[in-house]
Amino acid sequence: MSIIFRSLIILLPLIIFITYGKILITDRDGDFASFEPKEFPEFNLQDLRDGEIDLKEFNGISLLNVWASWCITCLVEHPFLTQLSNNDIKLIGLNYKDSQIKAKQWLRKRGDPYLFSIYDPRGDLAFDLGVTGAPETFLIFNQKIIGHIQGELNQEKWQSTFVPLINTATKGN
Amino acid sequence: MNISKIALFSCIFFTIFLSADSIYKFDNSVEEKRFYSLISEIRCPKCTSGSIASSDVPVSRDLKQKVYELILAGSTDKEIKAYVTERFGASSDYKPAFEGANYLLWFGPFIFLGILMLIFLLNRKL
Repeated sequence: MSIIFRSLIILLPLIIFITYGKILITDRDGDFASFEPKEFPEFNLQDLRDGEIDLKEFNGISLLNVWASWCITCLVEHPFLTQLSNNDIKLIGLNYKDSQIKAKQWLRKRGDPYLFSIYDPRGDLAFDLGVTGAPETFLIFNQKIIGHIQGELNQEKWQSTFVPLINTATKGN
Repeated sequence: MNISKIALFSCIFFTIFLSADSIYKFDNSVEEKRFYSLISEIRCPKCTSGSIASSDVPVSRDLKQKVYELILAGSTDKEIKAYVTERFGASSDYKPAFEGANYLLWFGPFIFLGILMLIFLLNRKL
């Protein structure tokens, strides 16, 4: 019996060490892989360019990308977003706590990968979405949010998080 | 007294009036107490660890403003926490409710300690 007890003294700290080590090593982005789908919140906002906000674009697969002209990481992910939109991925912008003039300038200068951008200067819709900053990207399927990435969206995160979610969502159709 | 001394003195003197004027005004102290206890129990979503009370990032400012508005609108503490966790996830509540799977969270360490004690005591008798 005392052998069990003695081995526990060694084993228990070892188990705790390995478990916590694993939690610390694991990339936090993995958390978003299991996302509880939720309804897209209602909102009453204008288009950044005073055009039309067409909610029909949220049918099928689309991405809602939170961006701002003051956001440095948005610049980093901009080429990848452009690449996605060139590959016929529907990309909708949510311009977050920005000035309309600066935001329009930003799009003119860098290129506009979005179908349209929702202008959210106070961050009302962003708050209801649970946005903590920019950039963040939501994966939408038939008006429902099915995925969420905080920080830069790149090829790696796209493959590891969004592609499996898209495959699962569209499998039934 | 030269001009720089007067300037320094007035700076110090008027700061007191500035800091005495709180951004969040309440009609009664009950609501005020509820506000400060709530913001210390809501996790700042942008921080590694810390409440929105201790954080000044934009999203924490928005959260504090929302909690303030909801208290003035007459929402209960439970409703406000539900409102926040619905948007920012269950992990934004630093004081999880006593229900369901949360019992394991609250009593887990004590159960673990109990099992250890049991093993220890059983081993001593043999």
